[in-house]
Formats: sequence, C-alpha cells, structure tokens
Amino acid sequence: MSEEIAFWILATIAVLGALVAVRKRNLIHGVFALLVFFAGLSGLFLLLLAEFIAAVQVLVYIGAVGVLLLFAIMLTERVAGDDGRRMVSRGWFWGLVMAAAVFVVLLLPAIQQWPSPETAQPIKPSVEELGHKLMNPYVVTLEVLALLLTAALIGAVTAAQGVRMPKEEDSPE
Amino acid sequence: MTLQHYLILAALLFCVGLMGAFTRRNAIVVLFSVEIMLSAANLNFIAFWRYSENPGLLHGPLFTLFAIAVAAAEVAVGLALVIAVYRHFKTVDLESMDTLREE
Repeated sequence: MSEEIAFWILATIAVLGALVAVRKRNLIHGVFALLVFFAGLSGLFLLLLAEFIAAVQVLVYIGAVGVLLLFAIMLTERVAGDDGRRMVSRGWFWGLVMAAAVFVVLLLPAIQQWPSPETAQPIKPSVEELGHKLMNPYVVTLEVLALLLTAALIGAVTAAQGVRMPKEEDSPE
Repeated sequence: MTLQHYLILAALLFCVGLMGAFTRRNAIVVLFSVEIMLSAANLNFIAFWRYSENPGLLHGPLFTLFAIAVAAAEVAVGLALVIAVYRHFKTVDLESMDTLREE
C-alpha cells in the first residue's frame, strides 16, 4: 500500500522535525527543523486530498513564517543560541510530566473504536468549490479575517517600532 | 489508513509542541512551539473532514484556512512583541522577565 508507506514516512518526518525544533540549542537549526516539520505536514495534507491547504501551508508557513522567525532571531539573540546558560526552564520536569499527561488524555478518545468512519469517502478535490464557498456563505468571515490581518500588520509594526524617546540617541540600524 | 492514525499523530505533534512551550526558556522557541501545536490542530481538522460523512461541504479546509490566517497574524504580532521586549530587557530569556513578580 503506497498510501501507508507515504503516511509513515511523512509522519516520521513531521515528528522528528518537531522534536528537533523544540530541542535544538542553536535557534537557526531549530527553525530549519521547524520548516522540515511544516513540509512533512503539508505532505500529510496532500495525502488527505486537501491540496489547496497543502499549498497554503507551504506558502504561509515555510515561506512567510520561516523567514519571519529567522529575521526575529537575527534581530534579537546571538545566532548560536543561548550558549553556556541553561536551555530549559526551571520547572522543566513538571512541564514534561504535564505534556505526557495531556498526550495520554488526547490519546484516550483517539484509540477507541468508532462505528462508522473507517473508510474515506471519495471526493474530487477542487479549489473552485472552495472559492465558491468562501464567496457565498463565508464572505463575512473572509472580510473579518482581512480586517484582522490588516490590524495585525499595523499592530506588529507599531509594537516592533517601540516607544520613541525624545532624548534617546539610537544609532540608525 | 484510518482516522485513528491521523488523530494519534496529531496528538503526538501537539504534545511535542506543548513540551517545547513548557520546557524552553527562549521566547522565540516558545512561539514556534505554539505554531507546532496549531498545526497539529489543523491536521485534526483536515483528518476529520476527510473521514466525515459529507466531505463535499468543505468544512475542514475552510476552517483550516481561517486558522492558518489567524496563526500567521499571531506569529507576526508575537515576533513584534518579542522584539519590543528584547529592546526593553536586552534578552529573550523568559525567566529573566520577572518584573511583576513580588519579592
């Protein structure tokens, strides 16, 4: 079954990418592992026949969010990460315990046997239908989302600009 | 492939993100751990849609599309806040931002 092989390969890529991303000390390496995770996830979306979402995942996450994270890292920390200091927070052990507990709680409903949805319904993937749906019942949501993105853009610029002190003599970067 | 495979994978990815958000001290790492958690939730949406009774309604991809847009806005504002905090504290270490703690 080629679908199963693809699923296992993509799942391994996604999980390993996520694990490396949260465990790497070097932040740049961590971001690249995160991009590998996003690529694996996009492959899983393709496997589920959501090809438009897979494309959006590549464009938005690998394209925009990855570059944004790299810029933020280069603007703030040293590139090599927090060397010498401790990487993990003070209560890291309880954090691990809580994450494992949440995993068990999430797993309990997932592994139960349900009656119906064993087989996937056949669908014909079409971006056109998605566009019609966005225009007809979901147009208000789309407009609100556009407003939100504009507000986030202005808010991000304002927050990153900071408060400009009159006496502060910043060297222009 | 059944729905359970995808749900277990999404739960695993969510908990990897949760582990990162709980255990790391760097604000940027915590931010992208939250992104991992959001992506795991998106995988759940798509999987439930694919195995639903009526996938022609396209509820899953539409909701995922909106969630991705909100996540993009969130990461932009979050990184701007990280940069603003870095200006003030000269660090992105979360444990050294304890101004509000009572001594």
